Amino acid sequence: MKHVDLLIIGGGPSGLAAAKMAAESGVSSLIIERDTKVGGQLVKQTHMFFGSEKQYAKTRGINIAEILINDCKEHDDKISYMTETTVVGLYPDYVVTVMDRNHKYSKIKANTILVATGASEKVLAFENNDLPGIYGAGAVQTLMNVHGVLPGQDVVMVGSGNIGLIVSYQLMQAGVNVKRVIEAASVIGGYKVHASKLKRLGVEITTNMTVKSAQGNGALESIVVQKLDDDWQFIPGTEEEISVDALCISVGLSPLSNLLSMVGCEMKYVSALGGNVPVIDHSHETTVPNIFVAGDVCGVEEASSAIVEGYYVGLIIGNRLGKTHPHYERLIQDFTQQLDNLRSGPFGEKTRSGLAQLRGEQHA
Amino acid sequence: MLKTTGVPDKALILTRFPDDVILGKPKAITECYEPIPCNPCETSCPFEAITVGEDINTPPKVDFDKCTGCGICVYNCPGLAIIVAQLKNDKAYFKIPYEFIPMPEVGETVHAINRAGEIIGEAKIEKVTLRKKQDKTALIDVSTNTELIHEFVTIRRMR
Amino acid sequence: MKKEDVILCRCEDVTLKQLHDCFDEGYTTFEEVKRILRIGMGPCQASTCSLLVQREIAKYTKQPLDKVKTHVIRPLITGVPLGSIAKEAKDES
Repeated sequence: MKHVDLLIIGGGPSGLAAAKMAAESGVSSLIIERDTKVGGQLVKQTHMFFGSEKQYAKTRGINIAEILINDCKEHDDKISYMTETTVVGLYPDYVVTVMDRNHKYSKIKANTILVATGASEKVLAFENNDLPGIYGAGAVQTLMNVHGVLPGQDVVMVGSGNIGLIVSYQLMQAGVNVKRVIEAASVIGGYKVHASKLKRLGVEITTNMTVKSAQGNGALESIVVQKLDDDWQFIPGTEEEISVDALCISVGLSPLSNLLSMVGCEMKYVSALGGNVPVIDHSHETTVPNIFVAGDVCGVEEASSAIVEGYYVGLIIGNRLGKTHPHYERLIQDFTQQLDNLRSGPFGEKTRSGLAQLRGEQHA
Repeated sequence: MLKTTGVPDKALILTRFPDDVILGKPKAITECYEPIPCNPCETSCPFEAITVGEDINTPPKVDFDKCTGCGICVYNCPGLAIIVAQLKNDKAYFKIPYEFIPMPEVGETVHAINRAGEIIGEAKIEKVTLRKKQDKTALIDVSTNTELIHEFVTIRRMR
Repeated sequence: MKKEDVILCRCEDVTLKQLHDCFDEGYTTFEEVKRILRIGMGPCQASTCSLLVQREIAKYTKQPLDKVKTHVIRPLITGVPLGSIAKEAKDES
């Protein structure tokens, strides 16, 4: 059986960032990635990122992926990869089972494990929600920006969080007609600069509205949307039919934390963090010793935070394995401050209260 | 209402504009009204004219004495929320960010568009700049009628 | 709403109507409905439907969402050919 010091499950922003910091500390790691290459969801983000220079602000996500990948390449002696490989089991004796692209099944034992599996898209329950042409917004972004395939010609976006707004803009860039963005809440969920950018293009954004049903013979042809009152109940008589050949659902992400429940980590449902998340301490260690988490798997946030969390946890794991980074104290402080800064505004409120709830702290 | 439609109120927009005398020279109009964690406008400005400060959630503030209207912040803003505006020779001049292809051509007449996405008149493309360091966000110089100074925000090609 | 046209579990094609009928028969925990309807037992292992089912149970049993237990997660997380596991076992011994 293969044996590694640090096994990183997921080669997205937080996994790569952690591998870099662990390598700088002197720890070797193995990154296991389900996709054909590492980079996670960054590889489809064609827009410029927010944040500050330390989190690569104003750089496009796809280029941030390159930066993180190149940083890891500088530590080729310490970081190895298994791509197109899925972790299918995580066991209390620190053994993981994996299956590669040729269905070869094998076991790997690790001293420490970082679960950086990210999140998956939430879905909506409505009539005929299984018609072809109904997509997750993130899936559409992959289809369009990675594979160069358009989802359709006339689209409605359900959900006005940052993903919904950004993907709508990118659909317009690709020449797709975004007929409307609808939002069930009474206010737009994402950054208003994204909303304004879309509005300028003539895309209507309607709040207090959701999709009621989809229609089509074999594939999506139209949807019915309806207004909601403040208790999220349909207001009778406000139905409106819109003809579309694609519908994008962007109603949030939920942490891909199933490996953590499998291994027996204590889990908690925290709605502010997106769903079931592992209970963690300040070092991002779960209740199972030496199993750590970083990124969206322990609370859905922006990718900028996932990167910083990865750096932070990479340092901590190095230290745990007896290999302390030469600038450990300074860097820990720096990353803590960066995370505080990213989360300090009104948009960070959800994360702040969610983390407080998760750690059993009183939220001020 | 910015919160429900994505369109800022007129009063809110005016908080970001200096008076017409100052607009005799080109000035950056930062339409970032909401505290979000972001500060590339501040760090990209070569003249230290934009301040966000220690807490990167603070919306930017422009020092119009220092701002030269160079337009560097326009393509560095991840939210594409900055334009440069100027009143000169009985015309309103703007520098706007643009991320669509095909790019408009110099001399082309285009629709002038307001913040609600409506056509409010015509505008003329004066210059199209897309250097490597702009990372695919073009900077477009455009002119239109002076009365659109507080209304104009972007262009739409006619064909 | 035509509950029979609302799909909760895409992998196993389980509808909202089937789930509600199950509730009405007295099965109101995730583990119970999973065993009866195979909901959450397909290739995605409930990563899509889990929150939807949790919400329906919360509504039906009038509990807050965070009090509703979801399914127990066991290996393997996705389908693995039995031959692959057998081969690994042989190689190791």
